[in-house]
Amino acid sequence: MSRRRIVDALGTRCPVPIALAERAAGRLAKGDVIELLADDPMVVVDLPAWCHERGHSLIGIEEAQGGHVATVLLGDVGG
Amino acid sequence: MAIHADAARAYLDHASGPILEPRVRTAMAGALALDASPDGLHEAAREPALVLEGARTELAGLLGADDPDEVIFTSGSTEARNLAVKGLMAGNAALGGTVVVATTEHPALRSAARTAAERVVEVGVSQQGVLDPDEIRNAVDADTAIVVLHHGHEEIGTLQDLPPLVAAARAARSDVRIVIDAGATAGVLPLDVRGLDVDAVVVGGPSMGAPAWTGALWLRPGARMHPLIEGGTQELGKRAGAQSVPGIAALGAAAALRRADGAERAARMDALGGRLIESLVAIPHVRLNGSARARVPGHVQVSAAGVSGDTLAASLGARGVCVAPGSSCTGAAGRASQALQALGLDEAWTRSAILMTLGTQTTAEQIELAATAVAEEVERLRAMAPGGAMAARGR
Repeated sequence: MSRRRIVDALGTRCPVPIALAERAAGRLAKGDVIELLADDPMVVVDLPAWCHERGHSLIGIEEAQGGHVATVLLGDVGG
Repeated sequence: MAIHADAARAYLDHASGPILEPRVRTAMAGALALDASPDGLHEAAREPALVLEGARTELAGLLGADDPDEVIFTSGSTEARNLAVKGLMAGNAALGGTVVVATTEHPALRSAARTAAERVVEVGVSQQGVLDPDEIRNAVDADTAIVVLHHGHEEIGTLQDLPPLVAAARAARSDVRIVIDAGATAGVLPLDVRGLDVDAVVVGGPSMGAPAWTGALWLRPGARMHPLIEGGTQELGKRAGAQSVPGIAALGAAAALRRADGAERAARMDALGGRLIESLVAIPHVRLNGSARARVPGHVQVSAAGVSGDTLAASLGARGVCVAPGSSCTGAAGRASQALQALGLDEAWTRSAILMTLGTQTTAEQIELAATAVAEEVERLRAMAPGGAMAARGR
């Protein structure tokens, strides 16, 4: 069964949100899900780029409470 | 020449700074020998990183947390209190601009609430310092973002029954953020952060036998909290900057000890505290502050009519009996305790309080010695003060 981890990057700025997502991914496995909470406007640029680079799937990124909630389905972690 | 706490005749100020157990001191000393930053990508960083994560795991286990990453290390409980209130307000602006606190809440929480919130609603307590769930429910409204509840009061020692208080807050508003101040109880009494259905729990080192300059905040994933200190990925971005690895090592070692012996230690402190209370209230015109029934084990605050709490604490100190004046947090301020004023006590009691907090090493002999010293110093100071003895009799 896949695990779901909330990564709270609220109040942090680039590159911290992606660094936190990277750290969380390192503790999870392929098929697990990261829910990233962030209010750094750059996350809408940085996160898709990170997903592409790492082989993860960006399921969705929605505006919520002055920031964004992004859902990432992990590919091969470390790949 | 420095006088070490463990050389005192009776050291009863563990809430300000506990006498460290050998295992805690050894852990701290060992970490001091590690020079590298735990953030490094080289081999030298591995050991301090393992120390950090080991401590995080122990503290998470003590608190009943699901995941060690839910624990954020801070410089102490005061920083954790500020982080909880200011950080959660910043991350939850959509919930509203109001914070609910008890009239006896810790000064750091009250101050943080005044800074971060548009409105602070204060809930009164009984004369023993007990919160009423109905009052909490009535205080929470559509604009309430945060409710702050203390588990054990750091000054007067009253223990709150948290589940009904939390339930009352949630009944009024299910999504309100609830912060528990466990600065006086973590490591002393069992805490199950998941079972409590709260959003953040403040932890301080002294209650579990770690240095006063250590602490942490447990944060529920999804609670939405901004950092106070920005600009790094340490503590998952919630508290940037180099961590105090020796301090955290000490906190982790203390947490491990308390996981093993917490219940037995608390029972011993409770029994010794009970004996101390019995001896002190037998002194004429001395009263116990807070609840006699629901108390933090080993936490004793009394007021002696006709005597200044500061002066009494200093006099006792000169005899090798180390206590705190009134409040371990605000003793230097020279003001009457806000918490005692909130109990509805008059000035004679609010300015005459001393606080004694027991620890792992406290013995029955030290309790007896302290009680005798208090009785003698109270009598001596009352005799010296103009109207002191008369003021005492008037109580």
